[in-house]
Amino acid sequence: MGAGLWRAAGLRLLAIAVIVAVWQAVAMAKIWPPVFVPEPAAVWRQFVRTATEGYSGYPLAEHLLASLRRILIGCLYGIAGGISLGLLIGMLPSARALLGPLVTFVRTLPPLAYLSLLVIWFGIDEEPKIWLLLLASLPPVAVATAEAVRGVHEDYLNAARSLGAPRWALPWRVVLPSALPEIITGVRVAVGVAYTTVVAAETVNGVPGIGGMVRDAQRYNQTDVVILGIVVIGLSGLLIDFLLQSLDRVLVPWRGRT
Amino acid sequence: MKRLGVLFATAALALAACGSGGSGSDSGSGGTAAANGAPETLRIGYQLIPNGDLIVKDQKWLEQALPGTTIVWSKFDSGGDVNTAMISGAIDIGLAGSSPVTKGLSAPLNIAYQVPWIFDVIGDNEALVARNGITDVKGLVGKRVAAPFSSTTHYSLLAVLAEAGLSESQVKILDMEPPDIQAAWQRGDIDGAYVWTPVLAELQKTGKTLVTSRELAQRGKLTADLAVVRTEFAEKYPKALDEWLRQQDRAVKLTRTDKAAAAAAIGRQLNLSPEEATRQLDQLVLLDASEQRSADYLGTPDAPGKLAEHLRSAAEFLKTQQKIDAVPALDVFQKGLATKELADAFAGS
Repeated sequence: MGAGLWRAAGLRLLAIAVIVAVWQAVAMAKIWPPVFVPEPAAVWRQFVRTATEGYSGYPLAEHLLASLRRILIGCLYGIAGGISLGLLIGMLPSARALLGPLVTFVRTLPPLAYLSLLVIWFGIDEEPKIWLLLLASLPPVAVATAEAVRGVHEDYLNAARSLGAPRWALPWRVVLPSALPEIITGVRVAVGVAYTTVVAAETVNGVPGIGGMVRDAQRYNQTDVVILGIVVIGLSGLLIDFLLQSLDRVLVPWRGRT
Repeated sequence: MKRLGVLFATAALALAACGSGGSGSDSGSGGTAAANGAPETLRIGYQLIPNGDLIVKDQKWLEQALPGTTIVWSKFDSGGDVNTAMISGAIDIGLAGSSPVTKGLSAPLNIAYQVPWIFDVIGDNEALVARNGITDVKGLVGKRVAAPFSSTTHYSLLAVLAEAGLSESQVKILDMEPPDIQAAWQRGDIDGAYVWTPVLAELQKTGKTLVTSRELAQRGKLTADLAVVRTEFAEKYPKALDEWLRQQDRAVKLTRTDKAAAAAAIGRQLNLSPEEATRQLDQLVLLDASEQRSADYLGTPDAPGKLAEHLRSAAEFLKTQQKIDAVPALDVFQKGLATKELADAFAGS
């Protein structure tokens, strides 16, 4: 087991080293101008500069925290709404007919298409960003919840009923716990989708914010800052997914054993 | 997102050019080019700005003047995108504002291009508008003012604030595209904006104009829409560039001799009524060849004009914004003016 872990860690380090080496080689070959492919060292210098002096008036940590805060709030609303909607859709056939297509409709919209509407409706402060992240994270949770709820074994419900459980307690005591593993998978997908929309959410008045920083750098062809932003978004996304997986193990230790 | 898309698209174009283009550029100087050494294709990046370029495009003057050359017109939305296309060699001549050109001529971009022509000096088509009740620039302290970053209006806005003795931190400056500015203005989310037409006209209906770019230019802070030509193209096909310059001059002269025809041509390109096109055309300052060669603008090979100083002062602005690492010396910008090509094209006049 220990050796396996070391092996996995070693493989990952090796993969990163290979990517950086290829990147460095491509940059040094100068097939493309440095504006297209900056050297790894240039990105590192931008990292140090952005972390200490800041970019667009805010240090890197503040950009990241502002974005994480938006993602956290947007996803909390989205997850709460998604679980409620999913329960309704999964348990009531009429709700399924009514809301199912709506959720699918929202899920297929590209965020940039309706961002300008959100700006007109909700202004340029935090509200439109939160709404965009909410709309991005709600459908995956709703779909996963609805599917899981529909898949709850009829025997569980019958058993609870025959043991005298009141009607109102069934969703809370039986349906939700048994659907929890799928819901958490839906949450992981939802957070990922929210993360991919953060740059879109921060196109209007997005500084401080990691997406706003990337967008600002694009405007000035500062490719090294763009790459830095992308790496930071990717790494923080990995970290968050790792945390969600840990949560998964705490909340549903029975996953895969039934 | 859009800009990143363009970056990749132009990168892909550059790749395609590397793959097939070796032969393409060879054929330009080889047997397949027109007999007089004209290029096989001339790729132009234009923008929807009511100046002479659109007249040349509408009247097909270039196609007539360079019969052996295929003219490819591609529309661009910003100077930053034009810079990217220039770096990848995807266009030969383009239109970009003075701020993006300054950035392009400075390190680290160091784009190998030159300015052979000033399409227009920005006049009343860009202005700073504030909500009623704010009567002067000092009244903007603590307020929220929007401008599209990296554009000429961003530069002008900061120049206006500096003039009034305000520091950037005293005003909350927001980066927004013109349509978003209009929406935020209507909702009351912003107190002012430095923006261009047609959004500017919407803001002026309910707001107060504090300063226009025409006034700023008179006070020495000039912004302009510039032509940029790839140095390699200019050296290889001087005759084609001469012809291009003469057609631009012809368009500027048309706006003076027959404004109705000029406005009609621009109106066709922009989907505007002739009256609206005339109004927008009047907001810009267009310069004919002799004005271009005066000391105030491009100048002559012996005495490069003041445009170089304007570009350098734009570079100082970019430095304070941490968008470039160092302000290049004045002669970098003087060399960036294609004064020799301009003089050659109008040697007879």
